[in-house]
Amino acid sequence: MNTYYAANLLIYAGVDIIAVLALNLQFGVSGIVNFSFIVFQAAGAYAAAVLSMPPHTAADYSFQVYFGGYQLPFPIPWIGGALAGGVLAIPVGLVVLRKLRSDYQAIALLVTSIIANTVINNARPFLNGAAGLALVPQPLQDQVDTNTDSYLYLYIALTAVCVGLVWFLAARIVNSPYGRTLRAMREHELAATALGKNPVALKMTMFMVGGAIAGLSGAILVGFLTVWAPSTWLYPETIILFAALIVGGRGNNLGAILGALLVPVGFEEVTRQLIRMNVGPPNVIPALEWVAIGLFILGFLWFRPEGVRPEPRHVFEGSPETELVENVGTA
Amino acid sequence: MSAQPDQRMLVAEDISRHFEGMHAVDGVSLAVPRGKITGLIGPNGAGKSTFMAVVAGTLPASSGTIRFEGEDITRLPTYTRARRGLVRTFQLPSEFARLTVLENLLVAAPHHRGDSLFGALMGKRYWLKDEETLVDEARGLLKRFGMSAKESDYAGLMSGGQKRLLEIMRALMLHPRCLLLDEPMSGVHPRVVEQIQYYLQSLRADGLTILMVEHELHLVEQLCDSVFVMAQGKLIGSGTMASLRRQREIVDAYLVG
Repeated sequence: MNTYYAANLLIYAGVDIIAVLALNLQFGVSGIVNFSFIVFQAAGAYAAAVLSMPPHTAADYSFQVYFGGYQLPFPIPWIGGALAGGVLAIPVGLVVLRKLRSDYQAIALLVTSIIANTVINNARPFLNGAAGLALVPQPLQDQVDTNTDSYLYLYIALTAVCVGLVWFLAARIVNSPYGRTLRAMREHELAATALGKNPVALKMTMFMVGGAIAGLSGAILVGFLTVWAPSTWLYPETIILFAALIVGGRGNNLGAILGALLVPVGFEEVTRQLIRMNVGPPNVIPALEWVAIGLFILGFLWFRPEGVRPEPRHVFEGSPETELVENVGTA
Repeated sequence: MSAQPDQRMLVAEDISRHFEGMHAVDGVSLAVPRGKITGLIGPNGAGKSTFMAVVAGTLPASSGTIRFEGEDITRLPTYTRARRGLVRTFQLPSEFARLTVLENLLVAAPHHRGDSLFGALMGKRYWLKDEETLVDEARGLLKRFGMSAKESDYAGLMSGGQKRLLEIMRALMLHPRCLLLDEPMSGVHPRVVEQIQYYLQSLRADGLTILMVEHELHLVEQLCDSVFVMAQGKLIGSGTMASLRRQREIVDAYLVG
């Protein structure tokens, strides 16, 4: 395993962890079935790309067309990516989250994902259509040589800082009284409303927070890959993230991290190894990967719906139960 | 109504609620007196629950006005009404199943510093004091309702009666001025019925105003200071249970409806 491959794996792991933590805030904690999650990651990636690229009239870039091209220095593209995800959540949330019942919300969001992909795929002048954007500048590439191992380490470190930051924010939200209100809304929205909680405001907030985090994950990814196209954010990518969260444990940040490592990262690795071993016809393994992910989700929903790391039960200090030491933690 | 204006906590004026031509509630006017338990009775399908939902804001009124403490609240959303002290419970169990009993109560607490995105991001030190005060308050309620031992159990694992109690306690965490109870004793063991009855009376003694839908007439007779009767979406009578029993058409509506 060479350094580049290891770095590739670690950066993907970081991006997936960030994404699944955001999905946990939305789906695991708040109960929003955001089937358009990947759109927000894509928005972040595109935003980071056009913020860091030169205008499409520039010499090396004239083979593609896109708006913007601001050549802004790092970290502005990453911040811009996060902002783009958060801002995109406003119109989508206002359309989907206000009036629709939650099962219809899921369908509407899935359709949103498909529409967004189709539009970007076909509206070429906007973001270069199906061919996508290429030659996206890497962070700090005018200060350091990006073709070295040390740049890979730097990129891993930057990703790790973002993972740490997102983890910190997510933990504060999940473990707070606000997180408790979100979980209450997930359990019984009407009852939460009757207790003075505004469900639309709560959902919109989590949609924007999750959207911003998703946008950041996209920005990190595009800075590493230097390319971004509609084929990288088809709606099944969202399903993989849902699988990760269901396997890891909905409502549990540690579960989200574990799921991100097991499903997107773990599956990619296993698939890659199998392809190298030349098992069967060339396209069988990637196809079987989807079958396996589907079975994985079904298996967990059937046998262990709470995931590997279930949402913890919150026992308060001084509870009668804490005095019976043997019983603590057995639910 | 003969009550003094300041004695009328909640006033419904000519409330209607139509569902595609069906008049579930049809021009109901009534006033709920302060500090009393008022009953709302009627046969199945009379529109009682719909009326309660309109008062609580869960369903919008097709026409009419609702005043709470003299203010027009007809256009306010449910959560704003709840924050102002008009709190409803549900006919069906509505516990937050995967939250513990104590957490169910804490969720309901208003004005918690940690109950906003800003408060959450500020961290535990910012809201811990509020949390401790509210845990004490919630434990006080659990003790009063005899459920202290259950505080760390998931609410979804409670019995039907315990869920009813939990729901009343949860509403009380909001410091309501008026409780709207939709059949608080349906499907509950007789012993728990007695318990709930006792708690409701003690809440009235504390000055709380209650409007409740109930089917068991003997309970209504024991608990309610006055009663409104609905049938087919309309208000057909009011008074004490004893006076209502003497009115021929009301007895008919109940037996026939």
